[in-house]
This record gives sequence, C-alpha cells and structure tokens, in this order.
Amino acid sequence: MLSAAVLIGFAVAALAPLATPALGARAGWVWALLPAGLATWFAAQIPQVRAGAPLEQAVPWLPSLGIELAFRLDGLSLVFALMITIIGTAVVIYAGGYLRGDRQLPRFYLLLLAFMAAMLGVVVADDLISLFVFWELTSLTSYFLIGYKHDKEESRAGALQGLLITGSGGLAMLAGFLLLGADVGTFRISAMLADPAVVQASPVYLPALLLIALGAFTKSAQFPFHVWLPNAMAAPTPVSSYLHSATMVKAGVYLLARLAPAMGGTAVWFWLLTGVGTATLLAAATLALLQRDAKRLLAYSTLIALGALVVMVGVGGPLGAEAMLAFMVAHALYKAPLFMVAGNLDHEAGSRDVTVLSGLGRAMPISWAVALVAAISAAGLPPMLGFVGKELAYETLLPHPWALAALVAASAVMVPIVVLVAWRPFAGREPRAPKAAHEAPVSMWIGPAVLATLGLGFGLAPDVLAQALLVPAAAGLVGAPVDFYLKLWHGVNAALLLSIATILLGAFLVLVWRPLHDALRTRFADVRVGPAGIYDALVLRGIPTVAKGLTKRVQSDDLQHHLLTITGFTVGLLALTAVVRGGPTLALPTVDGALHEFLVLALIVVGALGTASAHSRLRAITSLGVVGFGIALLFVMFSAPDLAVTQFLVETLTVIVLALVLTRLPSALLRDGEARGRSRLALVIAATAGAAFSALLLAVTQTPFDRRLSDFFDAASYPDALGSNVVNVILVDFRAIDTLGEIFVLAVAATGAYALLRRLGPRPEPEIAYAAPRGSADPAGDGEPSDAGTPGGRAADDGGAGS
Amino acid sequence: MEAPVALTVGIVFGAGVYLVLQRNLLRFVFGLILISGAVNVSIFVAGRLTRGASPFVPEGAVAPPAGSANALPQALILTAIVIGFGLTVFAIVLLLRTYERLGTVRTDELPERLDDPRPVDRNGDAPAGAPRPRPMPQGGTVPRTGPSGTDARDDGEGAP
Amino acid sequence: MSWLVIAPILLPLAASAVAFVLHRRPALQRGWALATTAATLAASLALLAEVSRGGIVATTLGGWPAPFGITFVADHLSAILVVVGAVMALATAAYALADVDAGREGLGYHPLFLVLVAGVHGAFLTGDLFNLYVWFEVLLIASFALLTLGSGRAQLEGGVKYVAVNLVSSLFFLAAIGLTYGLTGTLNMADLAGALRDAPPNLVTLLAMLFLVAFGIKAAIFPLFFWLPASYHTPPTAVAAYFAGMLTKVGVYALLRAFTLLFTGDVAWTHGVLAVLAGFTMVVGVLGAAAQNEMRRILAFHIVSQIGYMILGLALYTPLALAGALFYLVHNVVAKANLFFVAGLVRRVAGSSDLDAVGGLYRHRPWLAIGFLVPAFALAGFPPLSGFWAKLLVVLAGLEAGAWLLVVLALGTGLLTLYSMTKIWQRAFWAPAPEGLELRRDAPAAMVVPVAALAGVTILMGVAVEPFLALAQAAAAEMMDPARYVAAVLGEGGTP
Repeated sequence: MLSAAVLIGFAVAALAPLATPALGARAGWVWALLPAGLATWFAAQIPQVRAGAPLEQAVPWLPSLGIELAFRLDGLSLVFALMITIIGTAVVIYAGGYLRGDRQLPRFYLLLLAFMAAMLGVVVADDLISLFVFWELTSLTSYFLIGYKHDKEESRAGALQGLLITGSGGLAMLAGFLLLGADVGTFRISAMLADPAVVQASPVYLPALLLIALGAFTKSAQFPFHVWLPNAMAAPTPVSSYLHSATMVKAGVYLLARLAPAMGGTAVWFWLLTGVGTATLLAAATLALLQRDAKRLLAYSTLIALGALVVMVGVGGPLGAEAMLAFMVAHALYKAPLFMVAGNLDHEAGSRDVTVLSGLGRAMPISWAVALVAAISAAGLPPMLGFVGKELAYETLLPHPWALAALVAASAVMVPIVVLVAWRPFAGREPRAPKAAHEAPVSMWIGPAVLATLGLGFGLAPDVLAQALLVPAAAGLVGAPVDFYLKLWHGVNAALLLSIATILLGAFLVLVWRPLHDALRTRFADVRVGPAGIYDALVLRGIPTVAKGLTKRVQSDDLQHHLLTITGFTVGLLALTAVVRGGPTLALPTVDGALHEFLVLALIVVGALGTASAHSRLRAITSLGVVGFGIALLFVMFSAPDLAVTQFLVETLTVIVLALVLTRLPSALLRDGEARGRSRLALVIAATAGAAFSALLLAVTQTPFDRRLSDFFDAASYPDALGSNVVNVILVDFRAIDTLGEIFVLAVAATGAYALLRRLGPRPEPEIAYAAPRGSADPAGDGEPSDAGTPGGRAADDGGAGS
Repeated sequence: MEAPVALTVGIVFGAGVYLVLQRNLLRFVFGLILISGAVNVSIFVAGRLTRGASPFVPEGAVAPPAGSANALPQALILTAIVIGFGLTVFAIVLLLRTYERLGTVRTDELPERLDDPRPVDRNGDAPAGAPRPRPMPQGGTVPRTGPSGTDARDDGEGAP
Repeated sequence: MSWLVIAPILLPLAASAVAFVLHRRPALQRGWALATTAATLAASLALLAEVSRGGIVATTLGGWPAPFGITFVADHLSAILVVVGAVMALATAAYALADVDAGREGLGYHPLFLVLVAGVHGAFLTGDLFNLYVWFEVLLIASFALLTLGSGRAQLEGGVKYVAVNLVSSLFFLAAIGLTYGLTGTLNMADLAGALRDAPPNLVTLLAMLFLVAFGIKAAIFPLFFWLPASYHTPPTAVAAYFAGMLTKVGVYALLRAFTLLFTGDVAWTHGVLAVLAGFTMVVGVLGAAAQNEMRRILAFHIVSQIGYMILGLALYTPLALAGALFYLVHNVVAKANLFFVAGLVRRVAGSSDLDAVGGLYRHRPWLAIGFLVPAFALAGFPPLSGFWAKLLVVLAGLEAGAWLLVVLALGTGLLTLYSMTKIWQRAFWAPAPEGLELRRDAPAAMVVPVAALAGVTILMGVAVEPFLALAQAAAAEMMDPARYVAAVLGEGGTP
C-alpha cells in the first residue's frame, strides 16, 4: 500500500499529458483529486504511526548489491508526506487557474504530479539508494519546471543553475551514501538508525557526513549554494510555492533530520549545521533587503527559514526537534499562500514589483485577506502557528547566543518582507497597477485561504497538531520517544522578550526600508560577487574557457600531431615500463650468417633508409621496391618459398598501383613544408621505436621456442588434412577462418576503393546524392556540413574531373 | 642469424615510423608499407629461422623431415601480407581521392581546405583569379594560422 | 561443434556476399539487411541463453582441437557483447532504411555494413589472437569504406585521419602478436593465458604495454583518441551511430579480454597504467565535449569520456568493478548510438545539428525531445535510467578500492556530462528557434522506431536492473577466474 501511494503519482502523471486537454478548465480540480486522496490516506495512518508502528514495505531491486525499493512511514515521514500532499492539493488547483489556457499545461501537470510522487518517495524511502533515486527525480522535475517558460533566457539559466548546483550536491551525496552503505553493510536507513554506534564509529563517518551534508545543503539552498533558489523564481508561481518553498527545498532538511539519530550529536555535526545554517540566515536576510520583486522577496524569506531549520536540526535534542517541526509546518502553511497571492498580483495586476503596485485591496479583497493572515504568521505574531514556531526556535537557541542573535536579526527582516508583499500592494485608496486589477478566480484563492486558515487554527490549538503529528515526528528526529505539549502562550519569558525585540527591530526596518533599499541597491546593484559571482565565473565562463583551451591544446586538427602523440606515447610507455619493471635481458647474440645473407640485409637497410630520406618520388618508390624485394629474398633464404612468391607479387602490385596513382598527385618534392622541429621529434621517436622493436624481438628470439603447434601441423598435415605443403594446409584447413576473413578484407577493400574511384572516369558523372536523404530534398546534407549551400561548387568540381 | 635480422627489422621499422610521422601523406603511405614489411619479417623471425628446409612433406613421407622450417608463421605472414595489401591499396586510393576533393596531401593543410568553400579542381590547378580567401571558421574546427594560400599548389607537373 | 557460437558471425558474413550480388536491387538489399540483422539478433540471444544456462561454450572449426585450430569461445562477456552488437546492427539497419541515400546504397552500403557487423562479432567471439587480428581488419576495412562512402569532403578529411591512425594501430597489434607468438609458440588465447605465466615477466609486461596501445587506439583512450572526434561526425547518421556504439567497444572488449585473461601477472603496473589513462580519458573527453557546439561533435567527445569509465572498471580489477565496466559499456552503446540517431533526426527536422542554428524543438517536436531526454539523462547518470546504475557500480567499486581521486574524477565527469547534455537541451530544444528556421515534418518511422526502442532499453535497464546486472556479474566472475575460460577451451568440454 505504501509503495502504491508513492508510485501511483507517476502513473497518474503519465496520464496527464493525454487527459489534460480533454478536461479543459476543470483540469486543476480533477488532478487535485490525487494529492487530496493521498493526503486523506496519509492522514488515516496517523493513529497507527502514533502508536509507534510505522508502515513498512520493501521490494528487492538490486538484491546482489543489497539495494531495495524500501519504504517506511514513521512520524517524521508522515509530517512531510502530509505537507507534500496537502499543499500539493492547493497548488494543483491553483495551477489550473494560474496557467489556464496555456498550451503547455498538459506537460506542466505531468511534471508537477511526477514531482509530487518523487517527493513522496524521498520522504518515505527507507533505502539510501531508493532515496537518492527519488531525490534526483525531484531535481530533474524541478529543472523542467523552472525552465517552463523556456523561451526566456532567464528561465533557462535559472533552471540550469538549479540543476547543476543540486546535481553536484547530489553526486557528492551519492558518494557519501555509497561510502557509508559499503562500510556499514546496509543501505537500509532504519537499520542504520537502529544502531547509531556503528555509523558513528565507522572510519568513513566524517567523509560520509560531509558528502551527504553537501547534498542536503545544495538541495536546501544553504549558503553558499543558496544562489540557485532566487533564480528559480523564473518558474511559474505554483512551482515556486510548491517546490521552491514548501517541499523540495526542505528535502535537505528532511535528510539531515532523518539521519540525525545515526549521524548527529557529534561536534562536527553541530558546528557544521549550525554554522552553515547561521551563514544562510544572515546572507539571506541581508540580500532580502535588496529585493523589490514579490517572489524574490519571498524566496529570500524562504532561505531564512531554511537556514533556521538547519540550525535547529544541528542543535537537535527533543526541544530542537519540536522547534524545527513546528517552525517548518508553520513556514509551509504561510509561505505557500504568500507565494500564491504574489502570483495573483502578477496574474491579475500585471506586476510583482512591490514598489509599483498599491491600492489593490478593494479590487482583490480575498487575496488581501489571505495575504494578511499568512503575513501575520510569517512575522511571527500571535495567535498564529508562526508565532509558536518562532518562540520555540528562540528557546532552542538560548544556549547558543551567536546563533540566536542571527535568528533574531533574520526574523526581524521577515517583518519588512511581509509588509512589502502583503500590505504595500494592497493598501491605499488609489489602485496603481499595470493593468486593471480584479480578484482572482476561486481556484486561485481557495487553496491559499485554506492553508492560511490552517496556520491560524493550529496557532490557536497547537497541541492538536503536536499530538497528532509533531510528537511522533520528533521521535524520529531524536531517535527515541519524546513527549511534549504545545501551547500558544507561554507567559512572559526570554523568548517572548526576544519576540518583542524582533518586532520592534522589524518595525524600524519597515520605516527605513526605502532609503536603506535604495542605498543598498546603488551600492550592490550590478555587483556579482560572492557565491553568485563564483557560479558565473565557474560555470558560465570557467568551463567553456578551460574546455576550449585544453581542447585546442590536445585536439589538433593535424593528423601529423595525432600520430606524433600516439607513437611518442607508445615509445614513452615502453621506456617507462622498461625502467620501472626492468627491460628485457639480452644475451650477446651469436652471429652465424653467410655473406649473401648479410648482403640481403644490407640491401633492405639501404632501401629503408633511402625511402625515408628520399626527396623525389621516384627515388622513394625505387627504394621501397628494394626493401620489398629484399624481404622476398630473405624469405627465400630461410625456407619460405610461398612467402617469397607472395611478397614478390604483392610488392610488384603495390609499386604499380603507387606509380599509377602518383601521376595524379602533385609532384612537388616530398619533403616540402615539413616543420623542422616536428621532423626532429619524429626522428627521435622513430629511432627509439626501431631500437625498442629490435630489442624486443631479440629478447623474444633468445627465449626457448615452443614448437607444439608447428609439430602438430607437421604431423597432421599429410595424414589428416591430406596436404603436403604444410603452409597451404594451415591456410586452407587448420586456420581456414583466417583465410576467409582475408578474402573479405580484399573484397571490401576493392569495393571501398571502387566506391572512392567511381567519379574518376573520363566523363563527369553526376554527383552522388549523398547529401539528400532518399525522397526528400535536404540541402544541408548528412555527411558534410561544410559543403552545405555550395552545390554549385561541387558541380564545378565535377566539371574539372573531365579535363 | 635471428639477431642481425632483428636488427634489420628494427631499422626498417624505425624508417617506417619516421615516414609515418611526416606531413606529406604520400610519405605516410611509404612508411606504412615499410612498417608492414618490418612487422611481417618480425613474425618470421619470431618463429625462428631455418635454412634450406621448407615445410613440405616429401613424396612418400607422412611429415616434413625433422628440422624443417616453422610453417605456422609463414601461414600467418601470408595472411598478413594479403590483408596489408588490401589496406594499403585502399589507403592509396583514399589519398588520391582526398587530393582530388581537397587539393592537398599535406596533413596540416587538410583541415583548412575543408573550411575553404571554393571547389578544388581534381588536377590541383587553382582556378585562375584572386588568391584564396581566408578559411572560414566552421563548427568546432579551429582554422590553422599557417600558410593557406598559393604554397598549397605544390603541383609542378600539372595535368597529365 | 556448436554452430550457435559462430552463427552471429557467419550469418551476416554470408548475407553480405548475397548483398554484394544484389547491388543493383536496393529495395531487396534493404529488406535483406534487415532480415539478416534480425536473424543475427535471434542467434545472439540464443547464444546468450545457452551461455547463461550451460556456461562457457567453445567450438573449433574443422574439428581441429584447441590450441591447434581456431577456437571460437562464447563466455558471458562475449555473448553479452554480441547481443549488444546485434541489437545495434538491427537498429542501424532499420534507421538506414530512411537515412542512407540511394547513391551510397548503389556504392555498396548494405554489404559493407553486413561485413562490418560480422567483423565486430568475429572479434568478440574468436579465441585466437591472430584470428582476432583478422576480424579487426575485416571490421576496419569495412568501416573505412563506410566512413568514406560518398566521398564528401568532410568525410574524406575525417576519413584520412581515421584510416591512418587505425592502420598504424593494426600494425602495432600485428607486431605485438608476432612477439607474443615468438615468446610462447601459441596463438590460442586460453593457451596463451598459461604460456604467458611461464614467460619472463618483464618481457610479458612490455608486450602488455604494446597490446595496451594497440587496443587503446581502437578504444579511443587518452592520449590515443584524436582520430575519433576528428571523424565520427562526418558519415551518415546510421553509420556514425553504429560506429559510436560498437567500434570503440571492440577495443574496450579487447582490453577487457587481454587484461583479464592474458596479462594478469603484473597487475600493479598494467592496471595502474590503465587507471591513470582512465582518469585522463574521462576528464579530457568530457572537457573536449564542453568546448564543442555541434551535436555530433559533442557526442563524439563524450564517447571518449565514457570509455574512461569502462577502463576505470577494468583498472580497478575487482568483480564489482568489472561488472560495472561491462554494465557501463552496454548502457553506453545503447544510449550513445541513440543520441546519434536523435542528432540525425534533428538534422532532418531542423536542417542542421549545430546548436547555433537550431531551436524550438521542445515546443514543436515534443516526441523528439523525449527521444533525446532519455538517452541524454541516462548518459548524465540520472536515475532511474541505465546510466545511473552504471555510474553507481563503477563509483562503488572505486570507493571500495579506495581510489578516491578516480572516484572524484568520475563524479566530476558525470557533472560535466550533465553540463553538455543540458547545453544541447537548452539550445536545441528549449531556446526559441532562430529567425527563419522552418522545422520540417519529416520523421520516417524507420528512424523513429529505433530511437524509441533504444530509449525503451535504456529505461528497462534502469528500472529492471537486476537481470542485466546479474549477467554482468556472471561475466565479471568469469573474467576474474580465467581458469574457467581456459578449461572450457582446452579442457574436455572445449572440443565436442
């Protein structure tokens, strides 16, 4: 059942492209049945999960490597699963209105539903590799969703940035998973959690932790990898509110929380998470002040929340877990509605620039109301769940004042953000907007309204949420049963005082926002420093530059260069091997030759050197012939008459072919245009190669020879194969397959040569239509980009052939 | 006698490698033929040399006399010679065809001729007129900065 | 004697002779090529089933026992590769129905292609070192002819480099065979496995380096790969796709075979060298791709980069690593060839595959977009596609072996692969079409069906991964235990 709940999403997603057009305007409502149904199912599991009996299911996937498609639904997974499906319901409905009439809507639903299924997979997977598979699927669907408006450069760039950053983190994470899994002996998460001591004592604990954290940090947009998230706002608003605020970016937080019982509690863990989380908080809070686009403002506020969540996972313990979970649920319930309202502004009023819009409250009263409720929660004011979450977070961080200070400062920045998004565009009497604004259709406010109301309801009665979901979830994070009660009002305590300070500081920031914003913008407007600049330098400029530079260096167009490299490498490798592993041991050879034998050898040597040094073609061919006939003589002298005959014939034919061809080739001196340096290099390589070959051959001939095969052939040739010429018998019987291959080589060489020569006849023949696929006129051609567009040139070529 | 032959093989091999590493593709082909010969002889030597005892079964006998030459390498070399011949002829024809289509047999000039949109006469005579235009960069090929003009017309003999 | 072992060679070889005869009947040739490749695939699958059921199958032609006659051996490694080769042959034959023009057909495209397939399968199945050379030459000369068929200027320019470098590599290979024969007196690979153990170790290591270079050139590893990006973008797509999929893999196969069966006496050095080269191959290849701007050139460089992963698996030389290398190889053949197919469709639809000249394909040709996405993201290693598991296996093996640096390089290469694939995606598919570009409605079923089928394989290998991995692990187990190969060839079971 559990696996079906995950996988059904993929099946429904596959239907989406086909069915969406038929559904028309109802598409959003119909597809929302899937997340709504799943949400109901997950909600129905609450009692069992609360009772401490998680749902489990495992299907073998790669049994030989111990990899399973394993799922497990415990309290922690359940909170995330409900968040994914409930917000998913709202978003799917919303998207139906937001993207109404868009011709790519079918593909959109395919991707959105597939994302939801993948995200569910991430949070219920109980096998690290399964988790990784779903994790990457969320990255992939996110890529396509960010690039949804792919005609825009901004969308494509944002999509690529997100994919490359989360993708590189994913690779690190995979390495971490494999390292850990291979060492611990299982990829089952629950097995690791059951025995944390094994994980923490593992020699690979530290590298695995760092690698896995890298994956989590990139996914959850932690400093310095946060740069992709604001640029992901190029996606349509439903995507921003769902993937890039409520769910996918929390996958990193989920993973850290999931592994906390096994990997957490160490000093490295604490400092890594709180350090990075704090840096994210501060960076995001600062950068938020530079923004005036509603969605980008919200993106930076999401970064603040993500930083806070990572800090709280780092602190851990029952209180940290409680705070993290309350904070996270509150964030999901207020941020998604805020995004959707920002989308409504864009959709209905034509802009998201908060400095452009104002006075829209009358025209869009419901959107405004939703925005206000969500904003109060976001600002951390009572009686909202956001208040509860923030109070708990402050309480958690009391022992760590530096992190606490950062969180207070960042929370204060939340105040101007929500004022800019939820107040400024709506307040005022005179409507100011690029187009005549009116209220969004019901599909675009019902979802956010419900979510914002949930934020209010859970704020008033937080313990309902706590007992149903947060307590079992915290147990998953802590690794042991925990118990707590949540209240809205804790009386006057340190956290409350800090909250008041936060609001005051926030109010101050609201007052000075405009001058502060303008000052910061003029100062930093076009400066691409920090991580964003590093990404640009590394990916947009770095890779192409390095790649082009290196490639120019190694991949020359010149065949001579290729061959120099290959032969140079070969002799170098042989020399290195001889030095390191010992060269062949050579005995002083005994020479027993007759004079005529040495004369033949001398002839061969003279011919070879003559060919190499020849300036004219005639001399080169003559010398080549001398070598060939010398070799034939050698064969004669050493009992190989068949070979001698063949060598003689082939040599003659080769010389004839060469002579025929040479009349058609330029007659210029053979050595024209040689580069002196390269020739010298060639000489060194050639001399080494020759010496090496001689030495190897000599060494081989000085070992005792095993004549087993030849003795067999000698013995079997006549009695068994009925031939008296052993060489021939070998060719036609013992090794007949060689000869068969040889025949085909000759036949194909002839065919190939014929094909090449086809146009050499006395009359110009029509150009072979190699460019055009049969039955269609394709001017570009397949074989030959450079000839494209110059058919006349080829015709002229043919004309020349006739002269 | 293996040692002197092995030495000879090395020299022929080296000469072949030297030629293979030259810009002129004609010399490349010469080098290929030399290496091919050297390698064939090396197989011959590797099977050990025997004087005056071809691997024939004499009339009335059932096997060649003891001490006959090793037949197997001879068979291998026969195959290799024929295969090598086929490949060499193909290479020569390819060279010829390349010259006709691209107007050069020099490795450094081939890539830039490819980028040169002007047709090449099969006899290598540049059509009369202005000097060749600079090659146009195309695709991923980086045009060489070397001489691209009239020095390519290295055909002194002209048309037959 | 088991005909099953040689059927995947003899079927296309014999069929090519028929196709030569049919050269004036192009329609008949096309059907003949398609039927032959389909039959070859059936035979290959039967062979793999036989190997999975009964273990390594060895057979000698003419009844001459090993090591005297030429043995053909199908272990898991060979059988898997033959199946992959046959799948690619069938897909290419189908794609060629619409892609290869009448002019090239008249010049003998179909028989040449069938010879090429036979050569590739011969190389995979032969158990004899010299016979391996012969099959190498068969596939090489066929590839020469196919690459230059039509004599386009770019084809010739690329062809010269391809031919020249591969001829040199063949001669190195032949030289290495001669020396090996002189040292051991035998050519049968199973026999050699034992003979090389008894030979002087330093001489054997030097020979191993020669083989490494000869096979490394074919496999396009660093720094021997230059010929590949220089030529693979020039021929018709069908040819380029099969080349991209299979030809370098013949080199990889030869390396796998040589360095698990023949040269295992000095693993510290030989496999250490391989590891260093693997690292460079991955990085240099992927950076080369990042510098390109044309789809097929990008893809050509990626071939190099991904060969690095396979060599890395071989270099690590553990059962898991070898299984990973083989899994990677299979995944890569399918995905890479498919990307070439897609590039061909893009050229057909948009008239170019230069990223500056195309655009808008996602909006207007969504099915083509999906056809690209599946292999592209598989190549980038995204789950749940085949490339993810391939990468996971190699990385896991690297971590277990403590090869940190190589793991970092492998993962970084994965990221840069993602960069390249998204570059194609963002510019050809997402970005709006440049002014004046008119997309044609021209996607023949013959070209679309292979793309869809190969994408299906990529997904299947990702989702239902266990059976594929089990095969790869069986192959790896055999590779780690060469005695089984030797016993199958030289022992009683070897010569029925």
